[in-house]
Amino acid sequence: MLHYIIKRLLLMIPTLLGVAVLIFVLMRVVPGDVVEARYLTQGSQFLSQDLMNIERKKLGLDQPIWKQFTSWMGGLARLDFGLSMWTGAPITEEIKLRFELSLQLAIMATVVATLLAIPLGIIAAVKQDTWVDYAVRIFSIAGLAMPSFWLGILMILAMLILFKWLPPMVYTPFWVNPWENLAQLIWPALAVGYRYSAVATRMMRSAMLEVLREDYIRTARAKGLWLKLILTRHALKNAMLPVITVIGLEFAFLMGGLVVTEQVFNLNGLGMLFVEAISHRDYTLTQALVLIVASVFIFVNFLTDIAYAWLDPRIRYR
Amino acid sequence: MKRLMGILAVAASALLAFPLQAQTPRYGGDLVFPVPSEPPSYDGHREETFGLIHPLAPFYNTLLRVDPNDPGGTKPYPSLAESWTVSADGRTYNFKLRRGVKFHDGSAMTSKDVKASYDKIIFPPAGVGSSRKGQYAVVEAVEAPDAYTVRFKLKYASGSFIASLLSPYNFIYSADILAKDMHWYEKNIMGTGPFTLVEHVKGSHVLGKKNPDYWDKGKPYLDGFRAIFIRSSSAQVAAVRGERAHIQFRGFTPADRDSLKAALGDKITVQESAWDCILLVAINHEKKPFDDKRVRRALTLALDRHQASTALSRIAIVKSVAGVQVPGTPFATPPEELNKLAGYWTDIDKSRAESRRLLKEAGVPEGFSFTFTNRGIPMPYEPLAVWMIDQWRQVGLNVKQEVIEPAAYYGTIRKGDAQVFMDFQCGYIVEPDLDMYKFLSADRNPANYGRYTDRVLDDLYDKQSRATNVEERKKLIRAFEKRLLDEEAHYLMTLQWHRIIPHSSKVKGWQVTPSHYLNNTLDVVWLTQ
Amino acid sequence: MAASKETLEGLAQAESPRARWLQAVLDFTWQRPLGAIGAVIIVVMVLVALTAHWLAPFEALATDYGAMLAAPSAQHWLGTDAYGRDVYSRMIFGSRTALIVGLGASFIGATLGALIGVASAYFGGRIDLIVQRIMDVLISFPLIILALAVVAILGTGLENVILAIAIPMIPRCARVVRSSALAVREMPYVDAARAAGFRDSRIVLRHMLPNVMAPYLIMLTAFLGQAILLEASLSFLGLGVQEPVAAWGLMLRGAAVEFAETAPWMAFFPGLAISLAVFAFNLFGDSLRDALDPRLRTQ
Repeated sequence: MLHYIIKRLLLMIPTLLGVAVLIFVLMRVVPGDVVEARYLTQGSQFLSQDLMNIERKKLGLDQPIWKQFTSWMGGLARLDFGLSMWTGAPITEEIKLRFELSLQLAIMATVVATLLAIPLGIIAAVKQDTWVDYAVRIFSIAGLAMPSFWLGILMILAMLILFKWLPPMVYTPFWVNPWENLAQLIWPALAVGYRYSAVATRMMRSAMLEVLREDYIRTARAKGLWLKLILTRHALKNAMLPVITVIGLEFAFLMGGLVVTEQVFNLNGLGMLFVEAISHRDYTLTQALVLIVASVFIFVNFLTDIAYAWLDPRIRYR
Repeated sequence: MKRLMGILAVAASALLAFPLQAQTPRYGGDLVFPVPSEPPSYDGHREETFGLIHPLAPFYNTLLRVDPNDPGGTKPYPSLAESWTVSADGRTYNFKLRRGVKFHDGSAMTSKDVKASYDKIIFPPAGVGSSRKGQYAVVEAVEAPDAYTVRFKLKYASGSFIASLLSPYNFIYSADILAKDMHWYEKNIMGTGPFTLVEHVKGSHVLGKKNPDYWDKGKPYLDGFRAIFIRSSSAQVAAVRGERAHIQFRGFTPADRDSLKAALGDKITVQESAWDCILLVAINHEKKPFDDKRVRRALTLALDRHQASTALSRIAIVKSVAGVQVPGTPFATPPEELNKLAGYWTDIDKSRAESRRLLKEAGVPEGFSFTFTNRGIPMPYEPLAVWMIDQWRQVGLNVKQEVIEPAAYYGTIRKGDAQVFMDFQCGYIVEPDLDMYKFLSADRNPANYGRYTDRVLDDLYDKQSRATNVEERKKLIRAFEKRLLDEEAHYLMTLQWHRIIPHSSKVKGWQVTPSHYLNNTLDVVWLTQ
Repeated sequence: MAASKETLEGLAQAESPRARWLQAVLDFTWQRPLGAIGAVIIVVMVLVALTAHWLAPFEALATDYGAMLAAPSAQHWLGTDAYGRDVYSRMIFGSRTALIVGLGASFIGATLGALIGVASAYFGGRIDLIVQRIMDVLISFPLIILALAVVAILGTGLENVILAIAIPMIPRCARVVRSSALAVREMPYVDAARAAGFRDSRIVLRHMLPNVMAPYLIMLTAFLGQAILLEASLSFLGLGVQEPVAAWGLMLRGAAVEFAETAPWMAFFPGLAISLAVFAFNLFGDSLRDALDPRLRTQ
């Protein structure tokens, strides 16, 4: 087992390195740089080329590409993300508040998704091919079909008309005012959680169906639903793995992928920061963000792999 | 003459200020306002965004400022300089500084601080960036003959020099700090302004509190302010609507204004003004068939600006039909005269017929297709583009829109591949020299993206710049305008931007101006409760 | 009910290929009514897109500044937008954009993904290892970020949007197809073909590709809905197709949000169109997946 874990850990390194190289190259292929983004904004009639050269030099953008890359890698090796090219402040400082928000929203949305998916999946499986099953499937597929920004707009509009509710101005951290914090995040969490419950519901349904086919549960069929559920509980543990995997991967995705939802609900999270960083051509910040989001993803992947291997020893030897 | 003008302006504005201040200002309260973008660094000399002015201007003073009660936003008003004189040849300006001004660190502000600040702006040492260096090309030297006098020596007399000192970006910094570190002000805030910094939380807000030692005794009225960074415009509106913020200083859309007014009624006061920003259509003279002035004139003749003014002002932040000066300002062409220019006619059918005739004459076939390149900013770039593309469709042109991300936009435009594209002009003050510089021949002005050379136009510019007689100058500006927009149609004007500030009725002492860079010192702003 | 099923089966008894095809459709309809509903909606959507010129009462680009932001009425069934353009007509024309982007992006994404997956599985060894690492890298990239970067590099516009959406799909499809292809590769006839000295390209194209058609089709239909949704998101962010082209995501942007309170029809109907289209593709895709992949049947 230890051998397998080490092997998987080592495999993460080339992937992360690849992500780093890819984002580094992508950012430099995208036309424009941070200096142009800052100074070529208004037609800049009095702009001098000197100014732009000075700024580029200050940021090290006049260095050869390989040198820029090695110095970035050198910083990363010391766990130093460097300074934002746009604001000049340390990247950890830029990200801190946004990371908190995104993490909390991802957790809340995952909780919502799980709370929806597990009971719905079980009900759909138990009542397979009845109208209940169809209703559950339509409900979850509909969630996947609605554009999140549209759902957000409708939710905000409905709440404005019904309760005079207005979206918050700024993010209140949980430890500052838990009540206000939850009041702010519950709506986007519901919108996002509903959407992401769809895949998990489906997985849950099929896991449950598989379990229901086991012989001893079939025999219990006649003895009523409750007994069946109690019997199922044990068998379900193994079958739950794909469900947990899906939930885990979605959690990883939620950390950086909520660009549009954040925009609609005015949340200053990692997604919005991403868009801002790319539009400012803030190379260092974009690179750091991509690495963070990719690391979360890769790490969650790693955990699920380990979990699989732990439950199914054959995997370790593949 | 000029000396007199300066002094008169001060006197006049002092008088004008009186009736507005008739209500006794109330002390106390925190002003809360959303700011749509966050300052990149703190150095006003280096940045070019209102995102720096709105949250940071209250911490600083400038040498001169624009009279906070002037709705035109052009009258010079004393700030750190109490008064000034101009030499007979117009090449030496002496500014008398106010005494007893202290920086937030307790040190006294003297002429050496002003000199150091302006030296940083005009003659930045190697490795220091200054955004506005080019704007002060006329300055030969800045001197500090005694502790409370600052002298600017010019290479030649310039009618717009005082206007250039009104720039809200030219914060006066401490000379001692600059001597130690020219970059200190990029990461720190320390001025002489009416407020002192409490904190800046990245991605959230800037907090300022009243400076008890402010030199202008009795001010500011506010206890403090909170500038909150909110990118989404609907969230900014929601903040005002929920009475969690008092005002947003940049401007809201007509839809926002109407919904705020409908929801809050008398609790909302709306101030509006023509906005000293305009989107222009640049036409690349190096691309066929746009090298032909008949084609360019056809493009402008196809636009029904008068209908657009009524229609688009309902959905976008544009309104007035304008020439090269903001309508209603001293040098603007009156409407009846402006309507004689091509593309400004009130009879649109005649105008479109002429447009079609010119296209035919120039050999441009019906259904001719070209690309209009636009900058990826929704408001008001997108509505104006949709409008123009539809107008051009009505004279038989098939136009496709290509949108380029803001950060890559001017880099792409500078390569010279675009045919017809959006360009932007925006100023902190309405002043012909500053506003018309944009249209000079490409060799004199690198920001001329039409890539043309027109010596007649250059000549008219220089003449109006040196004209001392107002009527004479007006005439020259008219001639410049006619050549630029009608005869040669080098550039097309869309509609003047329109600034709409619906704010809480509790906010008093703040006057809207044509510029969203002005009146953000907040020293005269107060709250009724 | 049972009787009708027998009738249906009876109908399809004849052995002509046409009848077999008919039987497959009927079986599908019978066993998976949800999938059939999805298919019907898709067919309607395709018909609407093809006949947009006859169906739409107004031209997609026709502005009318006298009727800006007009509420739904006899003349404008679903109201007008900020430029007085007919929302109903623009929705009808918008179905074209949605279908072109949806089909184009998912076809390119799934096909390239399938080719890479099969090749990677066939060649195995070091090539497989390297290709898989590259796919890992692409998958770890957040989807929307990759699309953002591609649009930033290539620019906006229909073709670029299709590419921007297709690229992130490639690794996802490659991964699934590869695992199916690995199983096929172990089959004796692939070894036989190799032993017979067939060229690699021939073996991949003639023997392996047809055997991974099921996962390929499953991925393709799963991508369709996603592509339409992603196009709408990109357009909403201003990075998709551009005005004045009629597109659903574009219709939800700008004025639609600003006037959501006073002119809600502008945002409501195009959003409904997107939801319905994606819903239909997902329903159909889900059922197709159940039908095509026996191993996944229970899922």
